[in-house]
Parts: sequence; structure tokens; C-alpha cells
Amino acid sequence: MAEELNQPDPGSCDDPNLTRREIIKLGAGAAIAATITTQVGTVVANTSQGKNLLFFTKEEFALVDELTELIIPADDHSPGARAALAADYLDFSLSESVDESPKLLWRNGLKLIDQISQEMNGKPFLSSTPEQRIALLTRISKNEAKPVAPEEQFFRELKSRTAHAYYTSKIGIHNEMEYKGNVSLKEFAGYDAT
Amino acid sequence: MTLIRLIREAQPEVDLKKTYDAIVVGSGAAGGMASHVLTSHGMKVLLLEAGKKLDIDAELKSTEWPYQHKRRGEMPVDSHALSFNEYTIRKPPYAADTKAKHVYSYVQGWGGSDYSKNIVVDERDHPYTGTNYAWVRARLLGGKTNIWGRLALRLSDLDFKAKSHDDYGEDWPISYKDIAPYYDKVDLYLGISGVKENLPHLPDSIFQRPIKLTYAELKLRQSLKKMNRVLTPYRAGVTTDGLKHNTYRSKCFGRGACNRRVGGCDIHAAFDSPTGLILPAMDTGNLTLRTNAIAREITVDKKTGKASGVSFIDAETGQTYEAKGKVVVIAASTLESARLMLLSKSSTHPNGIGNSSGHVGHNFCEHIMGPHISGLVKDLVGKPRTLDDGKPGSFYLARFRNLTDRHPSFIRGYGFEGDSGTSIYPGNASSTPGFGSSYKKSVRDYAGAFISMGAFGEVLARYENQVDIDPTVKDKWGVPVLRFNYKFGDNEKKMAEDMATTAQEMFTEAGIEIIGVSRRILTEGWSIHELGTARMGNDKKTSVLNQFQQSHDVKNLFVVDGSSHVSASCQNPTWTIMALAWRSCDYLADQFKKGSL
Repeated sequence: MAEELNQPDPGSCDDPNLTRREIIKLGAGAAIAATITTQVGTVVANTSQGKNLLFFTKEEFALVDELTELIIPADDHSPGARAALAADYLDFSLSESVDESPKLLWRNGLKLIDQISQEMNGKPFLSSTPEQRIALLTRISKNEAKPVAPEEQFFRELKSRTAHAYYTSKIGIHNEMEYKGNVSLKEFAGYDAT
Repeated sequence: MTLIRLIREAQPEVDLKKTYDAIVVGSGAAGGMASHVLTSHGMKVLLLEAGKKLDIDAELKSTEWPYQHKRRGEMPVDSHALSFNEYTIRKPPYAADTKAKHVYSYVQGWGGSDYSKNIVVDERDHPYTGTNYAWVRARLLGGKTNIWGRLALRLSDLDFKAKSHDDYGEDWPISYKDIAPYYDKVDLYLGISGVKENLPHLPDSIFQRPIKLTYAELKLRQSLKKMNRVLTPYRAGVTTDGLKHNTYRSKCFGRGACNRRVGGCDIHAAFDSPTGLILPAMDTGNLTLRTNAIAREITVDKKTGKASGVSFIDAETGQTYEAKGKVVVIAASTLESARLMLLSKSSTHPNGIGNSSGHVGHNFCEHIMGPHISGLVKDLVGKPRTLDDGKPGSFYLARFRNLTDRHPSFIRGYGFEGDSGTSIYPGNASSTPGFGSSYKKSVRDYAGAFISMGAFGEVLARYENQVDIDPTVKDKWGVPVLRFNYKFGDNEKKMAEDMATTAQEMFTEAGIEIIGVSRRILTEGWSIHELGTARMGNDKKTSVLNQFQQSHDVKNLFVVDGSSHVSASCQNPTWTIMALAWRSCDYLADQFKKGSL
């Protein structure tokens, strides 16, 4: 144990904000995605090509990756769920689940997406046009507050896990939400109680 | 940069041949304070803690970002936190019907729970029975002070003399003037942040640098002034200016993991018993610490009927030991202290030690919570991001019911704790409908514009609300467990209705758009403010302890934790627990020197 507590200091920890270069890279496509190293030293994210998937098949992963990006897309404010490697985190967390029910929900849910796409457009989701993809998501998100049909329930699961993965990511916290906290302050921020 | 001294590692073997001046059972707020005060008077003290000594700084890692953690701060998947539904539908012991390897109380269902999983107990090892109760326990050096919510409030004579005010229950055997000098000592020794408000029912402390308010909180504060109600910055048991006399603790620098996690401050700006009280007490050379020591029974000298020591079980080996002391100070927490007294049966004390009144385990009270409100401050929608969570707490709204007037449907009162503005995770991500760019923008635009608050109300002390020893169920170490017989009553339920109503009035008056109101009462125990199982009083037939928390029956036995409280008030109890323990231990040391114990 260190003689002094490892006291946080804004200068000494990793720059929480992605560098400009990282953002450009991320925008260029998932092939050159950032690698985030955890404190235990394991690499939790990888490039989307040739990665070791833990739960999804390669085909499922491609579908999930697209779905997450449709839910939280890149815009002129910040990169989206794809750049934030949301699908990678979903792959990891589902692989860890000791309960079979979320795994089943995802396997079946992804199949349903392709089935509905076939019904609506005569082709699988990833072969349909951007407009057709959005039309499908619009349809299954209609009853978001009170989902009934299996595909509506899957949408809720998909969205909630995507949002969690995105807003806990480096991009979600720093670029999208521009979170200002977890820094050392000489004075508290805000207004005096007058 | 402040240097923080290395917390000493290995414990020397504890000498159990000698007779200590005092044995203190429990190392939380009360036991830590007893250790501090008694050793400062030169007494040789043995401190027994049932739990382990954790390297707490290695556990908390409070500056770690979510994405630096493999599971974004969440517990391993084989661990389960109990939910409100489970507490409601099932009966304790709650772990019995759960498949998960580890089962924890509801606090582990909050974000960042991986950092506190070794601090709270595993329900599998620590069962209890009876009526529904959400019992949160932390067995380790410092107990729950390692993760407490830090709200540090004083009680007033409206609480100490509540019976004189509304003719219910019992008055405390002390007045505000008896405890006020000890509140001052606690303020100065441990540090507290706040703003003076000059409220007779919520006395001011000797405050260090206050926390600031957000725009939404200031708006609500100013509106409340017209209603003669007070919203004040969180009165945090946190040193915001630093403490020259304590080198184990740093001043707060607003890094602010306080509200991102279950709790815990790894720079120890927030008070915790180990760095605030126990390590300084060890530096006197008068304190001996034995961790993993589960007190099983207060032993008794058959000739005198006095306490002779404590027999304890080693949590690791299961072996039983006996420690000898001239005085025994119980500070194991309200419920564990009652359990220990009831388990300490002997021919001289057939109903448990100190229990000739039959009141041990009874008059159990706490705070009711659940009703809460959330609202939207429209001026803040789409505004540039501000730093709103770099502080140890947000705001407290002081009690306003039954101060001078009399509410037609209930007695006593409640206060609100609240929060507003931006935090590390946008809570509206799940409630915002839709998907795509418009969803993303909406989450971003609204994330900092919400304000919410929830109430904590006094549960009346009633004789019939009690715990006793279950005749069959035992914990992992073979110690009989507590059986609960405890329910909220009519007064609490009516008060809870009023909490939701007044919350709406106040938000409406301030021009805050109400987006959600909950009237739901959470399971008994949820507030983690259990009190009153060994109450003080002047009448030994209806109370367990005198005004110095000394047993009416056994003069060398003291019980210095929340179990001694006569009523719950609606203010958070930790600061009062410590002020009372300090006062009682001053008395104890004085009596000890005079040979009167």
C-alpha cells in the first residue's frame, strides 16, 4: 500500500476527454475503434473485425451494432453508440448473465427483427434501406411505455441496455453529456444560499 | 497535496489475560466515539469489532470512471440485491428463496455497487425472521459510517421534550442544553458543513465551508421563504476546511463520488469512524483493537451481578474467547445491541442483561420514507452543462409540521432530502421516449433540468414494536438471530400522505413543473435509521438506561448507540448518537476514576 493515499488530481489521471484525433478515427468507422483498458488491465473493447465475440454470433453482432447506432446515432454534437462500442459491452454483459431469460430475449428478439424486416421489405434488416430500418424501429417502439408484442418488449430491452452502455461510456459521459464532475474543486460550484 | 498517513496493517495479538478498564463492543459512530473519549481520559480500552478490517481505500476507488470498470461499476452477476418487491412479497430470511450466490440488502441495487459489496453483509450469513424489514448492515471496522449518507443534523427540545409538546410517548431524560456542548465538540472534532439558519427546531452547528445550491435549489429556497419554510444546503458530516488535529483525513475537494455510489469517501473528508475516531484513539497508546470478534454474551460476575467482560467468537476460526473488563460499553448498533443484551442471560439477569424492565427490544422506532416528488425547471432545458454534483450532498428541507400549530391528522413531523441538476448518468435516458437524433438531443437537453426530493418522517416509539430472539434460527456462527415484530402505524401512514401533498404544494408554488409524485411507503427499515430498543429514562420500570446511557440494573454497563434514543425525531441520528456517547463517556470516565462503577 502506498505511503500516501493516491489522491486524485486532474493533471495526473487519464485525460477524460477523447482527443480530437480519436474522434476523427471513430467517425471514420468501426474498423479503427478505440481500445479502452480497464484498471485490471484487460482489454474490454476490440476492433469490430475479427474480434472474439462472447455471446453474439458475427451476424447477430453486426445487427446489434446497427440497431444501437440507430437508437443513439452520431450527430454533429458527438459520436454515437457504434463509436462508443455499445454492442461490445452488450456482448460482454449478456455473456456473463447467469440467467437464461435475457439471453433468450436477445436471441429471439434479433430473429424477430429480421422476420419483421422480411414482412415489411422482403429482405433482412441489414439489407434494407436506412429509411426502411427507421420505419421498422418506429413500428416496434410505438408502445414503448406499455409494450405488449414480443418485438415491442425487445425494443424496450434493446433501448434500455443501449442507453446504459452508451451513457456509461467514455464518449457518452465526456463527449455527449459533457459531464463536468469528478474533478478537484477549490470551491464548490453553484449559488450561495442567500 | 495533503499527506494521509498509512493506516496501520497487522494487529498485534490481543492480550486477553489482562483486565481492561473498558471493553467497547462495536466500532461504528458510537463505539468509535466511546473509544476516542475513554482513551482520551487515559483508560485502557479493548475495542471488539465483529467484522474485518478492510483496506477501504482499495475498495472505494471513488474517482474511477464507469468505463474503467469491467461491469461499469456493477456487482458480479452471481450477486443479487433485494428489491422492494422481494421485501414486500417474501418474509425474512430473504436470502432463503434466492438462487444467487451472494444476496445483499437493497442498497446494493444502486449504481456502483461493486465498490461496496465487501462493506455490507451477505444476507446468507446474517438471516433474521419475523415481519418484513429491510435491514442494512455493514460488518467491518467503522460499520455503516464507511458508507453513511453524511447528513448531520441536531435534535432540539421539540424532540427531547416531544411528550410535553403533544402528550405522546416519553420525554428524554435530557434537554437540548445538556447535549448542546457535546454537539459543539463533535462539530469541532469531526467537521461539519452547513449554513446557519437560526431555526429553533433545527439548531445550527459550528459549520465549516458550506456547500452551494444549484439554480433549481436556489429557486425553490427563495419560493419557500414566502411559505416560512427553509431549504438549506446539505448539512454534511464532512470536513470542508480540513482538520488540523487529524492527519488521517483530507478536506473535501468536491470530487463528488458521494452521490454516484452507495457511499464512501476514500479521502475521508466525510466522517468515518476509523479515520475520525479509532486511528487517533490508537495513537494515544490506550486502545487495543480486536477485529473479527463477534460478541456473543456479556459475562457477569455472579457475586456482584456486574458485567465482567465479553465472550466473543472469532469470525474466521469460530473459536470462542473471553475478554475481561471493568466496564462494558455496548455500541453494536440499535438492533445488534438489543440482540446482545437479550442473548446475555444469566441467573442474575434471566431476561437478558440490563432488562429487568422488560423493555429491551421494545419501543423500536425509526424514520418512515418513500413519498417523493420530481419536477422539471423549464429555464434549465437546453442550457450549457454545469457542474452540479461536485459536493457531498445537495439540500435539506427542514421540518415545518407541528412546530407551533397542530396538524389535524398526525403528530410529529418530517423533513425532505433532495437533489437536482446534472449527475454522471442522465436518469432521463430511460424515461425519454423514442430513438434516434431527437431522442439523443432530448436526453441531453433535459438531463440537467430536474429536481427531486423525498421525505423522512418520525415513526412513533411504541412498546409493541419490538425485536426478540428467534427460538430456532441461527446465523453462520450459530448465534440465535433477531425476530422482528414491527409495523408502521396509523400516524406514520397519515404523515406519509401529507408528505406527498406538501411536496406538490411547494413545487407548484415555486413554478416547478411536477413530473412525478409517489405516495408509496417503502418497507420498514429502508431509512437505515433504526433507534430505540434500549431507551433512556428516569423510571427504571419503563426504561433500560439512565440519562448517561448507563444501565439501571448494572452500573458498569453502558449502551451508547441509537438504541438509547427515546424517540426518533425526524432528523438523521448519527450526530446525536456521537454527541450523546461523548457526554456519557465523560461521565463514565469520571465515575471510573472515583471508583463508583
